[in-house]
Amino acid sequence: MMRPSANRLFYLALLLMILPAVAYGAPVTRSLSTAEPGAGEVFTVSLSVGDMPLGGVVETLPGGYTFAGTEHPDDRTLIQGQMIAFTVADEAVITYSVKAPASGSGDIVGVWEDFAAEAHGEIVPSHVAVDGVEVPEAGGSPPTDAQAASPLPLLTAIAGLFLAAHHRGGRR
Amino acid sequence: MKRPLLVIALLLIAAAVSATGIPGDADGNGILDEHEYRAAALTYLVGEGDLTRTDIQDAAWVFTHWDGRPLEITDSTGQTLTLTRPLRRVVTFSGEALETLRSLGFDMDKIVAVDKYSHEKTTFFPECAEKANVGSWLSPDMERILTLKPDAVFLYATITTATCDEIQQKLEAGIPGIRVLRFDCFKPATYPDEIRTIAAATGCEDRGDEFVAFYTSVMDRIRTETAGIPDDEKTRVYFEYWTDYKTFAAGSGYNEKLGIAGGYNPFGGESAEYPEIDPEAVIVSNPEVIVKLTGQQLAAGGYVGRDIAALEATRSAITKRPGWARLAGVDDDRVHVIHSDILGGAQHFIGTAYLAKWFYPDRFTDLDPNAIHQRYLTEFQGLDFNLAAEGAFVYP
Repeated sequence: MMRPSANRLFYLALLLMILPAVAYGAPVTRSLSTAEPGAGEVFTVSLSVGDMPLGGVVETLPGGYTFAGTEHPDDRTLIQGQMIAFTVADEAVITYSVKAPASGSGDIVGVWEDFAAEAHGEIVPSHVAVDGVEVPEAGGSPPTDAQAASPLPLLTAIAGLFLAAHHRGGRR
Repeated sequence: MKRPLLVIALLLIAAAVSATGIPGDADGNGILDEHEYRAAALTYLVGEGDLTRTDIQDAAWVFTHWDGRPLEITDSTGQTLTLTRPLRRVVTFSGEALETLRSLGFDMDKIVAVDKYSHEKTTFFPECAEKANVGSWLSPDMERILTLKPDAVFLYATITTATCDEIQQKLEAGIPGIRVLRFDCFKPATYPDEIRTIAAATGCEDRGDEFVAFYTSVMDRIRTETAGIPDDEKTRVYFEYWTDYKTFAAGSGYNEKLGIAGGYNPFGGESAEYPEIDPEAVIVSNPEVIVKLTGQQLAAGGYVGRDIAALEATRSAITKRPGWARLAGVDDDRVHVIHSDILGGAQHFIGTAYLAKWFYPDRFTDLDPNAIHQRYLTEFQGLDFNLAAEGAFVYP
């Protein structure tokens, strides 16, 4: 039988292995020119796309934040409310601009689809807050399916429970 | 274009979808152009339109592999099929077609069911052990096939033709839109074209070219060497089928392979494809080389196990037949046993290489059938199978 400390390490290692694969495992990553834009500031979002000959990315902005433009071709970009969809055809990077509201914070969330490889997944959310001030969204966009289906919160909770249980067990 | 107008235009374009054609072909002209693909993909991405994820993946596939156009192929029965989507749920009634698909790197997860013989070959087709078993082409489990909802079925082209025709008719009546593809995959004359056609149908063209190059490098090497041998100098061969004194004649696949290897079949002119020969006639023909086929019903050897003793016993029994001690082949110790795994099906080029080597050892000193076999298993079949330690295919 494994000792508690060994058990804890085992579960941690297991979670570290599982989390990236289950929750994301994505070939797409997002970076922001700033995560704390000023009121009304336009900032840049860059999506690094891995090897994806034919695919797509859908980004969803927090409530109050608005799409401000992209270099991506018009006929490969579609805006629906807070959602911005891009088709991907071997691009390494897709860049778009977002205008911050007067105040507000939230996550930019996204999903990717690799139609050729028949794979799909989520992009790690990016948190933004005007001037770094956390303000709960009022009337912001509802969570996407991707957010709702994300196993990350569940796995994080399970990890917490394991760690808590074994931490207590270790003191007895 | 202003973005609101673009959105409306995309939605309108993507709304019109042909149910039977290429998904996303909004104008219904049978061709998916780049604009249509993008519109369909964007519409799907924002959750609009009727196209599913599979539809868009199919559209991307057709756009990538077939340049957005339907693919017209002609199979080995001469029937022409027009493909507008990739093969996703495949049933194979032919182990040779199944093996060829694996050579081409086709995603084996897309094979939903196989024939019972392939199902039983757990060493060679380990990934098929858990797949559905739809019986043999001689006794197919039609009910099972229908419940699996395949979109493509592979059947033989030129053997048991009437039976395969009947299966095809039932499938086409029971599953609208199903693609029934018929190939033999065991005949040297047609195999390279069959590989290319199956490769095109499955989007594995590059791999198909590699495999055809490998296959033809072996077969052309043998053909080139044996083509110049005058008929009266060809090695006289008695080739015995699984059953004692049963051989083959012109028209059979085995005779074709024997001919490519430069062998002369004294019974090639028999009227039946697989005639039974009078024992005395074999002695009269005095073959210089004797080859016995083994491997019936997953018997000893082949991929099943390394039972070299069984092959040795088969050879020994032949040489002890009444009157055979006088035969040139026995006297010169040129009696060989070969397993049908490497001569009867898609691996016939390996067996043909062994035949050529046995018939003309001096002409084929550089030909290494074992190395060809190992390369095929490792590089094209993706099997972790070491011929130095596993299997038994020829003796000696």
